[in-house]
Amino acid sequence: MGTEQTEQADALLGELKRQAVGRLTVFLGAAPGVGKTYAMLARARELHRQRVDVVVGIVETHGRSETQALVEGLPLLPRKKVAYQGRQLEEMDLDGLLVRKPAIALVDELAHRNAPGSRHERRWQDVEELLDAGIDVYTTVNIQHLESVNDVVHQITGVRVGETVPDAVFERLRDIRLVDLPARELIERLNQGKVYLPEQAAQALQAFFSPSNLTALRELAMQTVAEYVDVDLREKRAARGLEGIAIQRHVLIAIDGRGHSEYLVRAGAKIAERRGAPWSAVTVDTGRSASAALHADDVRRATSAPDGAARDEQRRLLEIDKAFALARNLGGETAVLHNSDVTQALLDAAAARGARSIVIGRTRERPIARIFNRTLTQQLLQRGARYELTIVGAPQVRQRSLRLPDIAGESLARRDLLLILAISAGATGTAALAERFLGLQDLSLVFLVAVILVASRTRMTSAVVTAALCFLSYDFFFIEPRFTFLIGAQRGVATVLLFLAAALIAGRLASRLRMQVVALRAANIHAMAMQNLGRKLAKAADLGQVITAGASVLESTLNARAWMRINGETGPSASAEHLTEKDLVAADWTRQHGQSSGRYTDTLSNSAWWFLPVRSDKDTLGVVGLRFPSGVGRLSFEERRLAESMAEDIGQAALRTRLVSELEVARVTGETERLRSALLSSVSHDLRSPLSSMIGAADSLARYGKDMGPEDRHSLLETIHVEGERLDRYIQNLLDMTRLGQQGLMLTRDWIGVDELVGSASRRLQRYEPGARIEHEIPPDLPPIHVHPALVEQALFNVMENAAKFSPPGETVRVRVRRTEDDRLLIDVSDRGPGIPEAERRRIFDMFYSVERGDRGRQGTGLGLTIVQGIVGAHMGSVEALPGPEGRGTTIRLTLPWGGYANQEAKENGMPE
Amino acid sequence: MGCPNETNPGAAAAQVLIVDDEPQIRKFIDISLRSQGYATLLAATGQEGLTLLACKGADLVVLDLGLPDKDGKDVLRELRQWSRVPVIVLTVRSDEGEKVTLLDAGANDYVTKPFGIEELMARIRAFLRTATAGAEDGPVYDDGVLRIDLARREVSVRGQIVTLARKEFSLLSLLARQPGRLVTQTQILKEMWGPTHAEDVHYLRILVGKLRQKLGDDASNPCYIATEPGVGLRFTVRERDGMAGSR
Repeated sequence: MGTEQTEQADALLGELKRQAVGRLTVFLGAAPGVGKTYAMLARARELHRQRVDVVVGIVETHGRSETQALVEGLPLLPRKKVAYQGRQLEEMDLDGLLVRKPAIALVDELAHRNAPGSRHERRWQDVEELLDAGIDVYTTVNIQHLESVNDVVHQITGVRVGETVPDAVFERLRDIRLVDLPARELIERLNQGKVYLPEQAAQALQAFFSPSNLTALRELAMQTVAEYVDVDLREKRAARGLEGIAIQRHVLIAIDGRGHSEYLVRAGAKIAERRGAPWSAVTVDTGRSASAALHADDVRRATSAPDGAARDEQRRLLEIDKAFALARNLGGETAVLHNSDVTQALLDAAAARGARSIVIGRTRERPIARIFNRTLTQQLLQRGARYELTIVGAPQVRQRSLRLPDIAGESLARRDLLLILAISAGATGTAALAERFLGLQDLSLVFLVAVILVASRTRMTSAVVTAALCFLSYDFFFIEPRFTFLIGAQRGVATVLLFLAAALIAGRLASRLRMQVVALRAANIHAMAMQNLGRKLAKAADLGQVITAGASVLESTLNARAWMRINGETGPSASAEHLTEKDLVAADWTRQHGQSSGRYTDTLSNSAWWFLPVRSDKDTLGVVGLRFPSGVGRLSFEERRLAESMAEDIGQAALRTRLVSELEVARVTGETERLRSALLSSVSHDLRSPLSSMIGAADSLARYGKDMGPEDRHSLLETIHVEGERLDRYIQNLLDMTRLGQQGLMLTRDWIGVDELVGSASRRLQRYEPGARIEHEIPPDLPPIHVHPALVEQALFNVMENAAKFSPPGETVRVRVRRTEDDRLLIDVSDRGPGIPEAERRRIFDMFYSVERGDRGRQGTGLGLTIVQGIVGAHMGSVEALPGPEGRGTTIRLTLPWGGYANQEAKENGMPE
Repeated sequence: MGCPNETNPGAAAAQVLIVDDEPQIRKFIDISLRSQGYATLLAATGQEGLTLLACKGADLVVLDLGLPDKDGKDVLRELRQWSRVPVIVLTVRSDEGEKVTLLDAGANDYVTKPFGIEELMARIRAFLRTATAGAEDGPVYDDGVLRIDLARREVSVRGQIVTLARKEFSLLSLLARQPGRLVTQTQILKEMWGPTHAEDVHYLRILVGKLRQKLGDDASNPCYIATEPGVGLRFTVRERDGMAGSR
């Protein structure tokens, strides 16, 4: 529920939005001819004089010279010529205006219907696009074109105005100006021929201009302006935090599609508008009707074979559809609730939306239901005590009410009737047979079963008819006196009445159960379709798969061809072939504006495809196109809703794949970055150490050499030499690493004795670490090994150098060479250092591992063991870290295959170990 | 570890303790210092260094940060709990934030590896000199060009008296009192403006600019007041004419 602060924030945001996008100034009149266009042009001229960038988008002067005179001198946008059925029509050049992007555009006649083939069906849609583009718009409209007063105008004048403008356009309203003219003067102008009327409508409109009509319309116009001023004031006050509206007062409008749904929506919207409250229109699907099944095929089957109840149901759904479309136009939300209990569904929906008011139509008052307090109104009053209930009566309702008696009959399908008759007859027969064994009272049970049977298969009305039939049959055939409808004994009266009551209650319960099942199934189909989509999307690893999976589910569920484009990726290609240039324009429009277009919409509706936006939280990711078979003239609300929900899920999945790939890139970048910084710190730390010694020693010699003894001088020179070699080794390591890393390491194998390898590495180590003590254990008579000698020696040296570094002074490094049973060479290098915790034994071979441990680590690039691993790996061998002998220190074990025919030779010699 | 007796603590020679795990670095510092008449003590680990300092004492410690047994900063902190001996830190890190941390942890100065021996030697001299100079009075600095008489608050360049504002003089004297030594920005700010202004480095920048101008010093190639970016200021001793200040 909205708190005071959120209310205020919303209001402020609304205010900001008003400032960021273009704003609308409406010149409102009560009737044609009051001078709206004139007033608008006069205002525009004034602005033009003040050097405001005003452009005339379109203004109809209807040849009136005074109006024409006002247009002159104002910048005029050339009109666009549209060819339609051999005629040249002129329309406003929307794109030209968007490109020109003036500060203010004059667009006459907001309610105008554009020539077929234009981008939008209606001019107010053009205006919305202009406003979106940040262009302020001045426009004119007559009161009767306003959607929310459409019914009132109809009631006043008897003329139904077709070209209405949704009130939602007025959300961007900056200013509303009433252009007023007393009725008498208007009629005078009309008589002087100063008012332009389309020729074909002139006759019809004459009646429109009666003084009483004009007075009423004028009043309506004034009221409307007053209301908008009110709303405006309230919003501004709220934006400044002057007046916090304590609670969100949502208005819930319940419609049932039985003749006055649109009227209800308008009335409810007006109530909400006056209160500045959000609102929604809902309908409850009780599962009562077969066509409530959501599957598109079912609906279509019902359409193709419209008879009796089905046709009626179809009409009802159509009305709900239209009412919902109207609700969306007026700025409300729409929802279908699934529940067999209408009252409960409405109360739940009201609670979920934080509604305070529920608007319902006057329901058909069934006398019996009223007695039992079962009408919707009564139930809502009883169970929804905390809600304000507005009951709206509509003229149409009376007509419908008159037909009430035949509703039961009409809605009984032939099939149902047959079922009722058959079961009633069957029950009578069974009862006749059973009469010999059962008592009179027990016979009623047979009829009761019949009623429940019917109720569980059809609907309440059938159950009631069955109950009545069975009641009559029971009375007629079995109650004394027989074969009359008279009832003799008082006991008999009690029996039949109790039977009737029981039959009605049981029938009602059974039919309600069935309705619930049907409603559940209907909701299930939606849920299952969504679940199916979710499952398929979950498996999709990239955008292409999301598109393929999404399209296949859309196609199978909605029985239509699907195509989509998300983040520039399109698919499936089979559908793409069916898209024409025209369709792609609509797709682009949807992508840009985040609103649906094409077939079944008002925008670019000559496309054969219906395009829906694929949205993420804030922006439009792409577009889904659906092409239904050409026979499908309209989409049910459920189909729309399903498609929209699916598009939303596809958008989420697309977003997910994008995030995943972004994460992956970030991870790889992070890893590379980590390696790079490790390398940098390794280079700076480990290359600088020998450099520091060399620079320091050389500098010392240069500056203080003359003060030193020859021994010291020699010692410093030695430092320079030793450290220079150390530096060379580091650089060699880095180079080796690069070579290993690039997979470009070429092995030049040669025969060499293992003892030679160990000896060479030891000698080299002794040079660098004169203090190191090395102990060898090499079995005699080992055959030579076929390896790249220099590389293996380097690997061995690296391992031994490492061991020497970690050995405490005075401790020995042990090198133990063995030959295994399966002819592999094992070289164990053990130190008596601090050892390596088990968890880290694998990691020591990672590049720069020692560096990552920080400055405290011994010198060494941390590359040494990685290089060992690379070299040994190139020889198909392995290297591992083990605990040292007697559990102290570490043993690094190199395992190398002997290579070549050495195996053969070794076997012949029968070498031990 | 016991106290090795490899050095000869001569009564006159200042004793320098070198703690570094790199034998080659230890060696050349040792040789250079000895050639200049200092006595040296050598340690390869932090613990060894602390033990040596405790047993034999030293007039100055050269401490490497990358020690195998414990972090140089920890050694520094431990040392500072019981000794005020000047410590020059050897570091490979060139991040000035790190240097400030080190100075805060108790180091008196630092040298970044790789370094020339003369750089280290100048630092060592700066500390060992003031250790003796501080004992005498009559604080006059004169290198032939710049002459600062701290007692009489008189500054002259090439014989010309330069008039300094009060703050300018106190900054110059603060630096010149410890020639060759690094004085951190925080130290200067605290001393001159009080602890509440320890962060207001811009005061200092303006003041140093003015002071350099009056002394005819060039910020890009300073003769007297050198900036260690992000760390502090150092009064450079002009060696050509020697120190006339210590009588």
